[in-house]
Parts: sequence; structure tokens; C-alpha cells
Amino acid sequence: MLRRFDVHRVTSVAEAVALRQRFGEDAAIYAGGTELLLAMKMGVARWPHLIDVKPIGSLAQISASTDTLRIGATATHWDIERNPLVAEALPALAQLEANVANVRVRAAGTLAGNLAFGEPHADPPSMLIALGARVLLEGRAGSRSVAVAEFITGMYETALAADEVIVAIEIPLPGKNVRAAYVKFQILERPSVGVAALGTVRDGRFVGAPTVVVGAVDEMARPVPTAQFAGADARDAGTLEAIADAARAAVEPIADLAGSVEFKRHLVGVITQRACAALAAEAL
Amino acid sequence: MGTREIRLRVNRGERRVVIEDQTLLIELVRGLGLVGTKLSCDSQVCGACTVLLDGRPVSSCTTLAIEADGKPVETIEGLADGTKLHPLQEAFIERFAFQCGYCTPGMIVSAKALLDAHPEPDVAKVRQWMEGNICRCTGYQTIVEAVLDAADQMRSAR
Amino acid sequence: MKQAHRVVGTSARRADAVAKVTGGARYTVDLSVPGMAYAFVVRSTRAHAAITGIDRTAAAASPGVIRVLIGDDLLAAGLTPYYGHVVLDHPVLAIERVRFQGEPVAVVVAETKREAAEAAELVDVSYEDLPVVIDAQEALKPDAPVLHERRGERVGDEGMDEGEKGLVGNVCAIARVEWGNIDEAFAGAHLVVEGEYRYPMLYGYAMEPYNALAFFDQGDLVVFSTAQHVYMVRRDLARMFHLPLARVRVSAPYVGGGYGTKSYTKVEGMTAAAAFFTGRAVKLDLSVEEAMLTTRSASAHIRARSAFTADGRLLGRDFQIVMNNGAYTDNTPLVNSKTANRCFGPYRIPALRVVARSVFTNTVPSSSLRGFGAPQGNIAGELQMDEAAAKLGIDPVELRLRNLVGPGEEFMPGKRPLDADLKDDLRCLASSLEWPGTSIGRSIGLGVSASDAGAYPTSTAAVRIHSDASVTLFTGSTELGQGSRTVLAQIVAEELGVALETVGVVNGDTGVVTYERTTGASRTTTITGRAVQEACRDARQRVRDLAVQAFDLPRGDIEDIPGGIRARGRDLSYGEVIEKWFGAGGEVLGHGAVRRAEGFAKMPPFYEIGCTGLELSVDRETGQVHVIKLTTVGDVGFAINPALVHGQDAGAAMMGLGAALHEELIYEGGGQLVNPNVVDYRVPRFADIPDDMVHLLAERADGSGPFGAKGAGEGAGNTVGSATASAIGRLLGIFPHELPATPERVWRLIREAERRGRSQ
Repeated sequence: MLRRFDVHRVTSVAEAVALRQRFGEDAAIYAGGTELLLAMKMGVARWPHLIDVKPIGSLAQISASTDTLRIGATATHWDIERNPLVAEALPALAQLEANVANVRVRAAGTLAGNLAFGEPHADPPSMLIALGARVLLEGRAGSRSVAVAEFITGMYETALAADEVIVAIEIPLPGKNVRAAYVKFQILERPSVGVAALGTVRDGRFVGAPTVVVGAVDEMARPVPTAQFAGADARDAGTLEAIADAARAAVEPIADLAGSVEFKRHLVGVITQRACAALAAEAL
Repeated sequence: MGTREIRLRVNRGERRVVIEDQTLLIELVRGLGLVGTKLSCDSQVCGACTVLLDGRPVSSCTTLAIEADGKPVETIEGLADGTKLHPLQEAFIERFAFQCGYCTPGMIVSAKALLDAHPEPDVAKVRQWMEGNICRCTGYQTIVEAVLDAADQMRSAR
Repeated sequence: MKQAHRVVGTSARRADAVAKVTGGARYTVDLSVPGMAYAFVVRSTRAHAAITGIDRTAAAASPGVIRVLIGDDLLAAGLTPYYGHVVLDHPVLAIERVRFQGEPVAVVVAETKREAAEAAELVDVSYEDLPVVIDAQEALKPDAPVLHERRGERVGDEGMDEGEKGLVGNVCAIARVEWGNIDEAFAGAHLVVEGEYRYPMLYGYAMEPYNALAFFDQGDLVVFSTAQHVYMVRRDLARMFHLPLARVRVSAPYVGGGYGTKSYTKVEGMTAAAAFFTGRAVKLDLSVEEAMLTTRSASAHIRARSAFTADGRLLGRDFQIVMNNGAYTDNTPLVNSKTANRCFGPYRIPALRVVARSVFTNTVPSSSLRGFGAPQGNIAGELQMDEAAAKLGIDPVELRLRNLVGPGEEFMPGKRPLDADLKDDLRCLASSLEWPGTSIGRSIGLGVSASDAGAYPTSTAAVRIHSDASVTLFTGSTELGQGSRTVLAQIVAEELGVALETVGVVNGDTGVVTYERTTGASRTTTITGRAVQEACRDARQRVRDLAVQAFDLPRGDIEDIPGGIRARGRDLSYGEVIEKWFGAGGEVLGHGAVRRAEGFAKMPPFYEIGCTGLELSVDRETGQVHVIKLTTVGDVGFAINPALVHGQDAGAAMMGLGAALHEELIYEGGGQLVNPNVVDYRVPRFADIPDDMVHLLAERADGSGPFGAKGAGEGAGNTVGSATASAIGRLLGIFPHELPATPERVWRLIREAERRGRSQ
């Protein structure tokens, strides 16, 4: 049961930042509420003040320029999976978003909130890191931008300062020939392993090195060192196995209800191979 | 702590309701006597509490009532037109797509959101959309059939 | 046969259809009365501890609080502070000691639920920890901490056939089934299959969590609750408050899921106590997390041996079963004894020995859940048939056919002979699944079971024929979604020859309806249905009596016709007879009763057949199982409502798949539940629907119920676990002995199979 709190509905980012400063640890930013209210109901978090940023109209926008997709902080998974700009520019992200949690969570939950929570068993971070996405923050000292890879600093931990508010997520659009894939293995409510892969395959070979990020299995999403696979035969079982080995070595899986460390490490290899194979399958 | 008055449209009626900030949407609708909306898992996984907020399916157990301010809320009680049942309700009856009935309001409301968004879903779409609704009685197959039947029925009525 | 009927045998619409699709159906959780207060439970944070103090001062002073109640208050007031229908050992609120994490220690009653919940955090309970035992095998060891040094008073016989003999340490109940010379059987065997098998502890997740509303009306206790067995709960409450049965009313309106989890007393005692001490109407509604701390099913660890001849005939079977009972007795003795009866299967077995022990541990008390020992037993009994078939090189279906008993044949000495044709059922199942299957990467598993079902055959019913010839049925059977209102109304309409739409049903309220022992063990159609038939026949008899007087007719001239009587060539409706006799208005009341006599003289009242199989594939990289096809054969004698039977079979099979592939309550050693919510405890979802589901009916009118019917509702799930394990085993070459077959467990089996393959 929810304990008592006040909701402050703000209509500008400046107002939100001011309230963040005023209430400090006593306040949390509230948008979708799918993670926040759940944590509060379970009693693992208690905030006397919630700063509702949804009335800030500009934060809901999704826009694209020639080289960047910008997703506002209050855009929901539902908004993103249906957005024609996203479908056009980053179909793999649209696909990922269409399979986050369930339809009700997607309808209310936001991508920014997902990142802000630092939940390790999440779908988006690995893909966003693979894409080189950045989080735009606004605080007392002005605005700054932090790579998603640096924004998430641990389990349920982020680089968000006490006075800051997420404004948007900016995703550099990959080149026309770059393919992206996200493959996950999921039994429980959240993914056990999710692997994002990004790269170009031409004539059966990787052009440059593929980008591979393993998520949902470790304290945070982990990039896989792949430099050695530049130009490798993308359809060769040996190559895929070698990338899988690199992926297995890059993570320290957390044992939980979805499986032991040993099983999860094995899954990381399997799912990494499947994600990389998907790049080759869709190749030019 | 804060209380405030919000205005919303619940099914076909405009309402003004005084709520506390932490009041949940399920508390609001059930407090209005619309007890068809059911609480079960209280953690957004079962879907028994599904209502449509501004046309979107949400877990009313984890949605603040404040969110409904100025917006339409549709609950299971709003589907039938007097004694004329919604095609989904008819199909659920014809297909025996419920037993204890506790998940059924959320199931039907969730299915309505599906048919609003995808009037001609295939089996895979129905399963994927309804994945977040749990039923412990039926084994689900009759629910899939009912949703597909209702979609057919609504298509032929158009 | 079927053509002779008008209403039974048809998939009539559910009687509760419109209410349930419009949100109009009212469940206990939807009920309120003016001036109602709310209760919230303070639960033990310890798995095993002595309570050294409870400070309720701060909670009592919290806003809105009316009373903070603890176990000692019940003692001081002279109430019976324990419940339990077999052994009176389950404290309404903990007394002196807690025996599982989550056990109710205090109840806060306040004006609002929020106030009660906030005050509950202020109740300060001091504990002195005691050693904890979670695992049943550990609990059997001589140095294990003992949960009940003093046993509670025995108040019932269910599952206690062996009496108190051997109940030492943590052993709660023992069941034995033995015949023939087991040592000789094994000594002369061509093949002995031997192994250990594990079936998980489960949470039934009925979606409406346990809740109750209670108040006293001039000293009479009135309780609305989610109870399946309202009359059993009435007895517990009467004992608790020293009230005569007539002064306790327990009513269950629509119930949001049962599956056995709501049989017997759960929250009714706490709620009634809260009403007793506050003088208020009190509502207590648990969360799902709290429901998970209220009841679960017993896990089983089985050591089994089966002896076969070279041509696959069973010579003997030997089962040593240990069930994890949880902290209190509840219904576990009966589950334990049913596991013993249901593990070896409906086979011709010259020599048998089953010893089942149910063991107390510091975990949530276990009780009934769909299948009731059959799924637990089958993982050993049925899987060994497949393991033997593999070793003997005999087709598993053929092996079963060689051993199954035929219709009318006894398989448990002295018990009812089998009232089914299981061989034919199995052939139907095999044919539907295209046994033995040829596709590479796919595998079929199947199984059979015959559960001694129906519980004790005590049932009564009443029908009132009104002056407009419409009828009201009164039954103590609770509508849990299984469709009892619909099926029983169909029986009334058939018997009395009236339109189904004119039959109303009032059910599940001890203050109003007639006695029904329980709503469980798949008994309603068979046993209650017979009581309903008797009530209809009694009502017809009374109508004839009235006609004799009212129309001055000789008795021999009256014959029954649908909806009335015919006398001297004239048709008279029930209404005409009633109105004529009374002059104005009036009604006729018929009463029916069945007991352990006549058709139900021999126990069990009927066997519930399980005959389900499935075809699956395994992702060899991830260990994930995919169910391609699942077929159930509903051997129900006669389907009074085929759609409802299909619904029961589909639901039971799907629940079985949950346990087969995903579900398991997991405890860590200190006694905390690791997956204490339905986010982490994964039940079947839409994604788990088999690609194809087929529900067949076998109708041979061989049941002891109305029109040759017999029960459904559990059987279809009973063999799903063993069939899943069997299919996986046939595919991988190693049979899983432990469920659920999670991806990791299957992956480990695959690796083990690869290792063995390499070493060969």
C-alpha cells in the first residue's frame, strides 16, 4: 500500500530542477511511475515528494534530424514503438520497445525512466549503449550530456545528480548500411540476457568490427571487445563462437531465479551468437 | 498531505472526485462503485486491474488517480450499451473464455485496447498483446478464440 | 443415449455469464457494510522463534486504530485459539512461538485500511530465534529442531488411517498402502527401475486473494469469505467461538479462483476474532504476497522402485514418499494419503508397498491443490513406466496397455473397481498425438492416472418449485468458476422438464442452503448432482401428492411429463397443481440427500481419470521447452456440459504445465521465501499456450453420478508433469527426475547426455 506523499506537477524543466534542489533526497522525479510506484508500494523506497514532469509538453517529443534521433524524457515505450520516425530510422529499437515488459507497462513507462532506475535486468540499455546514445540532463549548473554507458554506474545507480532532471535521450543514427539487432532470452518478468549487436556485413564479412553489448545479466550492460573481428567472416561459425567467447568473458553474471552464473554465462554466448547471426542474416 | 479535486470522464459520465495525491486509479474507480476492476498481483504483471486511460491500457493498481485528471477512463462497466453487450463480451460468453471471472474484466478491457489499435489481429498478435494478462482458470486458448471472434464480428458489422 | 436428453449433454451458456463479462459479479472482496472497519495482519519476520514480547502501545495510539489483537487475547477471552479440521494445531494468531516466516502474529483493526497498515508497522514484536528446518529430509533427522513438541488435539480422521503410530519428531502423518510379497516380487524381476524423484512446492495463485468480511448479529457470527468449503469453515468458527453450528453463517459469493487453495479455513478466524473484539464489522483482504504466505501445496521427494518381467509386466512397486508439510497440519494428512494412493497407477500390481510421510518444516503450511497428490505421485509412478519401456525396448503405450486394469476391475483391494476404460482412453490419446511421432527434434510424452476422487459422499440439495413453475435450486456447492451453477441447473431442468432459463441457483451460504460437505475432489457434478436429482424426484413426488388432493385423482392415474404431470389425458403444469392446491400462491419443496450408501457405498465414490499427453521440442542451446501439442482425454462418463468439461481439462492441463516447466516456491536456508510474489513466481501465460490443444471426451456413461457422469477438473493436469518429463527424457536420452524442467535444468541434462555420449 502506498504511503502518503505530495505530487508536484511542474510545467517547466527549470521548475523541476528547482524542486529537486529544494527537496533533495526527499523527492523523486515521476513520469511513468511503473518502476517508481512499484518500489514505493513494496516499501523499498519512500519519497514524500514526487515531481511530475509529464505536464512539461516538450519532454514528450520524439524528433529526428539527419544524424540524430531525440527521444524526450516522458516519451513512453508505447510512443516509441509506434513512432514513424523511430520505425524508419531505428527499426531494431522500435522492435525492442515493442517487447519491453507488457502492454500496460509500455503504455505508461518511459525510456528515460527505465534508464534512471538503473535496473540491471532491462532491455534498452544494451541497445542504447551499442548505438552510442547519450542522456541529456539539466541541473542547477545548466545542461550536460552523458553517454548511456557512463550514465548507468551500477545496479540501481546512475550518474544523475541530486538536482538534475533527464530531458531527453539522443541517439546518433547509424549509417545506412549498419544493421542493428537485439535478441533476448526471457523466462521471468524481465530478460535473463539481452544482447544488442550493431554492424555492417558486406559480402559475408564484417565491415569494421561489430559492436556487441550484453545486457540484463550483469550489474549493468557490458560492451564486448570486438576489435579483433574487424573484417571477419560473419557467416563463419568459428567467428560467431569467438565473439561469443569474448562476450562470455566480458560479463560477470549475477545468479538469480533465472539461473546460475554458469548457465547465464552460457546463455550470453548463445544469445550473442544469435544477435550477430541476425546481423549477417539481414546483411546487404 | 495533498488532496485535490480532479475532473474526469468515467465511461459515459463526467465526474468530479476529491483524491489524495497517493490515491491510486484503482482506488478511485472502485470508490466510485465500479468494482468490476479487480486487484490481484498489485505489481503490473497480472492485468486484472486493467482500465483504459485516455484510450491506453494501464494497470490501475500502479497508476496514480491524478493521471486521470481531465482524461477519459474506461472500465469494464463501460463496454456494454445498456443491456447490449460489446462483441468482446458476447464472444467471451460464447467461447466459455472465463471461469471464475476474476481476471475477465481486465482481460476484456485489454482486448478492447487491442482491437482499438489493431482491428484485425492474428493469433500471434493476440498472444503478444495479451501476454501481460494472467488467467489461472481457462488455459488461455478460449480467450484467444474469443478475441479473434469478436474482431471478426466487429469487422463484419462495419 | 444422449438424444434422450433435452438439457444435459449440451454446452448451455454459463449461468454466471453476463455478470462475469460486465464486471457485475460481486466477489467477497467487493462487499462492504456500513461502519465496516479494516484489519491488517502483522506477520512474523522469523521462520522459527519464540515470541518474547509484543509491544502494541504505539500501534494502539496510532490514528484510527480501534484495537490491536494478539493470540493471547483469544486465550484470555476463552476462545479456542486454534483451527484445523484434522488436528487443532493452527493458531489463529501465533501463541508463544512462530513457526514460519509470514505467520500472523497480530491483527490491527482501524477505521481505514491505510490506518491499519500504518499502525501495523508500529507493532513491536520481540523474538528469540530457534533453529530453522526447511527441507523435509533434514526435518526427519534425529537432531532436527522439532516444530510441535506437543501435538494438537485430533478433531478429524482425514488421512490419519494409521492413527498416531509413528508420529515422532516432525512426522505429521503417515500413510501406508501394501499388498502382496514385495521382496519376492523384486527378487524375481527381470528389470528393476529405481530412482529418486522430486515434485516442487507450488502456490496455486487463485487471483482473488484470501479475504473475508465478518460481523456478529445478536451473537450470531456472519462471515462472507472466499471459502470453497463453507460448511467446513463453519465448523472451525463454531468451535472457535463455542457457538452452535446454527449460529454461524458462512457465505461465499462469487469466488475468484479456488483450485483447492481455498478449501478449509484461511483468514476467516482472524477476521471473526477482529469482529468479536471490536464489536464492528471487519474486513480483512490479503495481498497476493500475503496469500503466498498462507497456503501452498506440498512438495514431494519420492524414492521409487518398480519390478518388471521381460515382457513388461509389473511385478511390484515400492514407494517411499516424503512430503514437505509446512508448519501446521491443515489438510496435509489427506494429501499425503492421496499421494500414497495415487502414485502407483491403475495397473495390475501383484505386490505393492507405499509408505508416505508428511513432515513439519518451518515453511508456509501446505494444503490442497488441484490434483491433490496425483501430480506428485505420478512423477515417480508414470515416469518409471517410461523408463522401464526404454530399458525393455517396449513401446511405452504398449507397456501401459499390458498393465492397465480394465473396466470393472479392482486395482486397490477392497476399493471400488475401475469405472473407466483406460486402455481405450490411452489409445485415443496416442492416436490424437500421432504416437509414437516421427519428427526429428520432437518428442511425445503421455500418461494415465485414476484418482480416488469425490471425498466423502455426503451431500444434500433442495429445490423449490414456484407457483409459476420456475425453480430455485439450493446447493452448498460453491461456484469457483468450474461452472457448478450451470451444471446443477442443467440437471434440475432435465429432471423436472423445465426450461433452463427458469432455474435459479442459490449456493454457498450455510445460512441459506442445504449441507454440502466440500466443494473439491471434483465431486460436485457426481455427488452434489445426485443429491440434486434426488431433490427433483422428491419435488415431483410432492407435486403428485398435491395433485391427488387438489384434483381428487387416484394416484395411479398420474404420470410425470416435462414440467408437470398428466392425469386422465390432461396436462397440468407444476404451477397449476401448486396454485390449485394452495388456492393462491404457494410452492413445493423437494429435498435430496446422498450418503455413503447405494451407488456410493463403495469408496471412493468414483475415480477421476487423467489421460493427457503432449508433444514438445527443446531448444538444445538454451534448454527451453516448447509445447507443440497437448491432448486431454476427458473420461467423464457423460459430459453434462461439454464446454465446461473442456474448460476444466484445458485449465488443469495448463496448471500442470506451470509446475512441469516453471513453477516452484523456493526457500533459502534461513526460511525466507526467495520468490514471494507473482513477479518472481512465474505462472503460465499466453506465451505458454501449446501451438495446438485438443480436448477429447470419452463418454461411456460409466460414472456413479447423474446420467453416468463422473468428475473432471483435476485429472487432465495430473499426468502433465510426468508426461513432460517423459517427453524430454525420450528426446534427450536422460529422464528428468525433478520438476519444473526449467531451461537451466534441461540444459544440464543436455550436457549430461553429451558427456555420456562422449564417454561411450
